[in-house]
Amino acid sequence: MIALLQGMGEGMQGMGGGQQMQMARDLALLAPEIAVLLTAVGALVLEMLRLPRVALPFTVIGLLVATGLTVPLLGSETPIFMDTFRVDALSVWAKLALLPATALCAVLAYPEVRDTDREGTVYALFSFTTIGALALAGAGDVMFLVLGVLLSSLGSFALVAYPRDDRATEAAMKYLVFGSVTGAVMIFGLTFWFGATGSTLLSELGGLEGAPLAAAFGLVAVLVGLGYKAAIAPFHFWAPDAYDGAPVSVAAFLSIVPKVGAIFGLSQVASDLPTGTGWPLIVAGLATLSMTYGNLAALAQENVVRLLAYSSIAQSGYFLLGVVALDRSNLALPSLVVFAAAYAAMNVGAFAVVLLAGRDLREFAGLGRSRPAAGAAMVVFLISLVGVPPLAGFVGKFLLFGAAIDAGFVWLAVVAILNSVLSLGVYLRIVVPMYQPAKRVPAPAKVASAVWTISLFATVAIGVAAQVLLGRVS
Amino acid sequence: MFPIVSATLFLPLLGAALLVAWRGAPPRVAHGVGVAASGLSLLGSAWMWARGASGEGFSQVEEVAWIPSIGVAYRVGLDGISLPLVLMTTILFFLSFLFSASIRERPRSYVALFLLLETASIGVFVALDAILFYVFFEVTLVGMYFIIAGWGYEGRQRAALMFFLYTLLGSLPLLLAILGLYLASDPNTFDMRSYIADPPLSGLAAVLALIAMLVTFFVKIPVVPVHTWLPAAHVEAPTAGSVVLAGVLLKLGTYGLVRFALQMTPDAFRQLAVVVLVFGVFSALYGAFVALAQTDLKRLVAYTSVNHMGYVVVGVAVAAAATDPAVGALALDGAVLQMVSHGFVTGGLFFLVGMVQDRAHTREMGELGGLLRVTPVLGWAFVLAAFASLGLPGLAHFPAEFQIFLGTLQVYPVAAVVVLGIVVTAGLYLKAIQSAFMGEAPERWSKLGDLGPREVLTIAPVLALVVLIGVAPFLVLDVIHATTGALLP
Repeated sequence: MIALLQGMGEGMQGMGGGQQMQMARDLALLAPEIAVLLTAVGALVLEMLRLPRVALPFTVIGLLVATGLTVPLLGSETPIFMDTFRVDALSVWAKLALLPATALCAVLAYPEVRDTDREGTVYALFSFTTIGALALAGAGDVMFLVLGVLLSSLGSFALVAYPRDDRATEAAMKYLVFGSVTGAVMIFGLTFWFGATGSTLLSELGGLEGAPLAAAFGLVAVLVGLGYKAAIAPFHFWAPDAYDGAPVSVAAFLSIVPKVGAIFGLSQVASDLPTGTGWPLIVAGLATLSMTYGNLAALAQENVVRLLAYSSIAQSGYFLLGVVALDRSNLALPSLVVFAAAYAAMNVGAFAVVLLAGRDLREFAGLGRSRPAAGAAMVVFLISLVGVPPLAGFVGKFLLFGAAIDAGFVWLAVVAILNSVLSLGVYLRIVVPMYQPAKRVPAPAKVASAVWTISLFATVAIGVAAQVLLGRVS
Repeated sequence: MFPIVSATLFLPLLGAALLVAWRGAPPRVAHGVGVAASGLSLLGSAWMWARGASGEGFSQVEEVAWIPSIGVAYRVGLDGISLPLVLMTTILFFLSFLFSASIRERPRSYVALFLLLETASIGVFVALDAILFYVFFEVTLVGMYFIIAGWGYEGRQRAALMFFLYTLLGSLPLLLAILGLYLASDPNTFDMRSYIADPPLSGLAAVLALIAMLVTFFVKIPVVPVHTWLPAAHVEAPTAGSVVLAGVLLKLGTYGLVRFALQMTPDAFRQLAVVVLVFGVFSALYGAFVALAQTDLKRLVAYTSVNHMGYVVVGVAVAAAATDPAVGALALDGAVLQMVSHGFVTGGLFFLVGMVQDRAHTREMGELGGLLRVTPVLGWAFVLAAFASLGLPGLAHFPAEFQIFLGTLQVYPVAAVVVLGIVVTAGLYLKAIQSAFMGEAPERWSKLGDLGPREVLTIAPVLALVVLIGVAPFLVLDVIHATTGALLP
């Protein structure tokens, strides 16, 4: 980042033609992010013009255009802006998975925020927060990590607090306090890396080889900061409260976009961090803790949103299997990408059905009888989260397990498999009452139905046609 | 050439999709779709049988790329071990649809789930790709869970949950073993044929993979002490569910034991053969003795399954350990034939127990009595099936068990104690027949009607096949032996 500022300073003083060309190329490679930014600003302007009805379609179209702009970048592998940002498989696939997911969450938010006084800002905040997550996914510089965490956090706080009732305010407050502390720890710890390597670039992290203490401090800081964003145990305490206080669509969004961004950001760090620092083992330990704690805690929940919050903590743990294997297995990168896409699809779908049925587990009783299609879709999302073939979750988990074994972490794969069984118990707690006699019929919800239909299609398609993804990752 | 294997495999799924899409399908149409789809599938498998397996290796192979980046493909095909099992599966499913045609509770979902289950079951037997195998293996679990949970008896939720958790916990180790085989194969592939032709794992890795596979298949078979899901699932499942569970789904375990454990980690299996044998012997004896203690007719049949599957495990272990390939093939032929025989015999017994329950609304042997007089056709059919189950010569189990025991005597003479199981099963079936079917019928049973035409149509083919396999076992054994004879070194 500092190098970037210097570069820009030099540019001001009379830039050569070559540098201008460079700048134009870099900006072109950043086109999707710029499109998201314009979408966010546009939505805000529409809100100011008192046209919230236009803000939603504008946001959705803007996000889809940004997705479309990402497609030509597939396969490019190039650092831009003096190595501070990376256009590589991780950052490109983050866009391809997260931008459509954000669009779906924005649509899902419509029935929840319709006709409230600042409807348009909600859509704008979704886009702003997503830019933060994308900054994390492509970070090539520790300052981008900090920037990404802050950017995605600020928007999220406001989104959680949006209903402005007691629960939402309390949830946002917890989220904010937790975020401020972990953010401060992260920035503090990262100064050790800067001190030891003399650079904020991730590509210079090899210089930590001889400075074990500085390396350890920085590593802890990154894990705290990104672990908070990704809701990895033990930095997850905010997640169940924040999800439950927020609108369902925001909970869906928080469980997907900042999480995947943070995991991919961690992957960017991990691919440059020398193995001598012992990070694979530490990350493996966090994975074990996150999976086990998330699943065990989910077993005791009576509120479906909280249950899915703990389940998302467990899913972060599975993600970390791919991170652990990053520099030792060819399967690691594809596994992270496929699981991210799968996770986004099935989680949006599950939350959409929650919006239809209600937050209380008791409200799911008989859903399979009263709304057979939504019930069947929920079963598909949940067993996909367990990892039952041939659904998306299976392919993702299967690749993650394979990557872990390939990298020599057989024990971690065994832990993950045991956790998958445990998670079946979690998700069956929703499925079992669904096929008891119906007590009530939920009101029809066209928007939620449209969202889960798209998610259902994606969940099945990613599972059956995994080749379409895999063929373009490696 | 017409892709008959794929057609047979996906016809039931097509029927299921049709039913899912057709919301207002009346019950008669739903059952009609079930009978038609499974009937066509049966014709398909008969066609496969007529084409025959080529003996050594796999034949009728159909292959399409699926996820080439990691070496996954849709590969299906047959050999002498899977061909009889596929035929048995399609026959049992077809008869189950005939029998279930009276179900009035949400018939559309019922038939659709059974059709899904049929595709998955056939898929496990014909899959030649490890991932494809695993996909079908897991889908059977989902289908059966919903059948037990949706149409079972009183304690169905609990039984279904136990079944699902148990077998999912069981099947995930297989995934580890498959990943191990994949990472060790060169070039990396999920092609089961290449694992069989050239086992990629050796030494400790092979032993660990074998143990993982054994856990999976032991739960599915089930082998004592991981059998506890079985009685609960059987007792609570609807009749056709029990037939499919015992007749087809248990075979997924024994089939996997042969296809994966024996063929992909042969050296490790040879080392651990004694351990597997001990599990098999113990299972066979335990199943027989526990069955002896049952008063519920359905639980009794369920436990005799543990006993019969124990013999299969013994047969496979003997085949792995035999130094003389002829002896090994003898035991393995017996084990595979035992799978087929058990499918028909126990499938038939569960049909008959279901018919008893539909009439008397109880399965307690103490409350029943004199059924031979009141319902002679039902009674004699049960007697015939029970005699087959206890291994009477001339009926389906005899040639299979005879070959297994013959092989065992030559390799592990001590293990011949397993024959004791036959004595115990004979005792328990005679006791059951005596208390439930013989004697004077109590007043309240005197009004029971005998089998209707649909029920006769269901049970008659099963019993005919039981007699046919008993009298002319070579019809099946020749097909099996063509493969097993070439399989063992």
